[in-house]
Amino acid sequence: MTQTFVDLDVRPILRGGGEPFEKIMKTVEALKPNQGLRLYATFKPIPLFQVLGAKGFTFDARELDGGDWEVLFRRSTAPEPAAPVLPNAPSEGTEWPEPVQHMDNRELDPPEPMVRILAATEELESGQVLSALLCREPTFLFPELAKRGHEWRGDFEPDGTTYKIFVRVGQRPNTSET
Amino acid sequence: MHGTNLSRWTMSYFVVALSALLLGEILMAAGYGFPSAPIRAPETLVLVHVVAIGWLSLLLCGALFQFVPVLIARPLYSDSLPLPTLLFIVAGLAGLVLGFLQRAGMIEAGVSPLPYAAASLTIGFSLALWNFGRTLCTVRPLTLPASFVAVALVCLAATVTLGVAFSLVLGLNIRHGALLKIAGQGLPLHLIAGIGGWLTFSAIGVSYRLLAMFMLSPECEGRRTQAVLWLGTTALAIAILGGLATLLFDKGVHLALLAGGVLGFAAVVLYGMDVLHLYRARKRRVIELNSQMAALALVSLAVAVVMVVVLIGLGQLSEQIGAVVFLLVFGWLSGLGLSQLYKIVAFLTWLECYGPVLGKTATPRVQDLVDETRARKWFVLYYLSVWAATAFLLAPYLLGFRLAVAAMIVATLGLTVHLARSRLLSQVSAQSGLPEGTRRPHLLVSIARPS
Repeated sequence: MTQTFVDLDVRPILRGGGEPFEKIMKTVEALKPNQGLRLYATFKPIPLFQVLGAKGFTFDARELDGGDWEVLFRRSTAPEPAAPVLPNAPSEGTEWPEPVQHMDNRELDPPEPMVRILAATEELESGQVLSALLCREPTFLFPELAKRGHEWRGDFEPDGTTYKIFVRVGQRPNTSET
Repeated sequence: MHGTNLSRWTMSYFVVALSALLLGEILMAAGYGFPSAPIRAPETLVLVHVVAIGWLSLLLCGALFQFVPVLIARPLYSDSLPLPTLLFIVAGLAGLVLGFLQRAGMIEAGVSPLPYAAASLTIGFSLALWNFGRTLCTVRPLTLPASFVAVALVCLAATVTLGVAFSLVLGLNIRHGALLKIAGQGLPLHLIAGIGGWLTFSAIGVSYRLLAMFMLSPECEGRRTQAVLWLGTTALAIAILGGLATLLFDKGVHLALLAGGVLGFAAVVLYGMDVLHLYRARKRRVIELNSQMAALALVSLAVAVVMVVVLIGLGQLSEQIGAVVFLLVFGWLSGLGLSQLYKIVAFLTWLECYGPVLGKTATPRVQDLVDETRARKWFVLYYLSVWAATAFLLAPYLLGFRLAVAAMIVATLGLTVHLARSRLLSQVSAQSGLPEGTRRPHLLVSIARPS
């Protein structure tokens, strides 16, 4: 498929100490089916490769003069139909393996549920899934999962009070360069 | 399922806000403004706006930039607007203070800075309203706590609008009929929109979520909470819009204030029942200092409401309104603000510093960043001195009031030191140092980094 690219330069945000993840995801969400993303960053954005990989993008990263990076994200396949927001959105098209670990974090004092989930992801192999029950939507957890390249799906149970999250562990970067 | 990132400038808001609280307390202890001066004196206006804008509004804006995204699980519309917002509000407040000092005869008469101050405050608060509004409008329907905040934001707009009307009359000497009526009799409406609408309604909305979150209580989403929202909103609409209409038609504002007051009273009683439920139905048996101390703020709110009823019965409400407002501002709003700041600063600092390495290495807990035993003493001193100061206002005994406020200053300084120690990780880094991959947070700015 012929693709055009939407340019996004997050270097000013990163140099200012900011967090460009939301902006990147908003841009990706707004891409048309025939569009890819040309991203400029101050480092090689390895966690993003997994996140956008899960949304059907391939990448081509190139280091620029001065140590900055240009990454071209291309749609490798037709975009996943049911993934309108974040990498976590329940995408019917892809099956996840059964969770290898179940956690019930509903009675834990905040922010212990988040700490335990992040600790558990460190113990799992890439591609393995864990599930956890929580007593509210873990909004502060999502950015931490995204930064580590993990995917997640989650929603409230029919009782309206228990939030169930599945986390699929992403590829571990080979280097510590992130 | 959007995540919530750290709000970059929230800590700056908190630092400026705490400085304004201390300044306000120092002014009162020094005998500047109410009760040493009359309630409508320019000196009192300096004091009131330092506290209402400098302390409470900046505290609330800073907190909302972080917590509106939590309330609705959507990102803030703009992370870059909060800095100019802060600068415009601070500049506007400075101009306002200068304008009042000029009216008090403390600085040379000349061109009044009041209209410029009003313009700067309008720009600052409009930026905040735009940012919050664009964030909230991405969600339908709003959660209940967020609905309280939405109503509060409308009241903020009303407060600023009335304030601008005052500044046009006072600063530019505009003698337009409607403006003169507003400037003459609109002060109660400005006060109700500001303290009752903007500050109290947001505090109620945020408290529903924070109390439930920190005590592991079931969320209040039932009919009683909806009744609080609708009764409160109707009360504010009647008092502010009804008051404005009756004022413009020369009917006096008393009837609208009374009708709004009755509904507002019902809303606060139902809110009190909700709060009792949150404390009683909690799963966390031993609650942390922030939730314990929030209870004393809620007690202050209850006492203020009872005071209003008793004073109406005694026919002394208008004489003693200063004591009621003092208890609402320093017992209820400031007490709740300080108690939640104590937790929020520690949590945001913990997340900023240790977030990248959570689960990868041993990290301190949020509780390790604070020292509850020592901080409790300052909180207790704070509330006792606020309640004593309120009693001295009722008495009235001016020297006693000033001494009680001096004790408030000591307590506030003590709490400020605790907040700074928590932000600078003084408690934990002295024991264990910082783990690899972490960085000591900056006092004023939150900087998120890729892990």
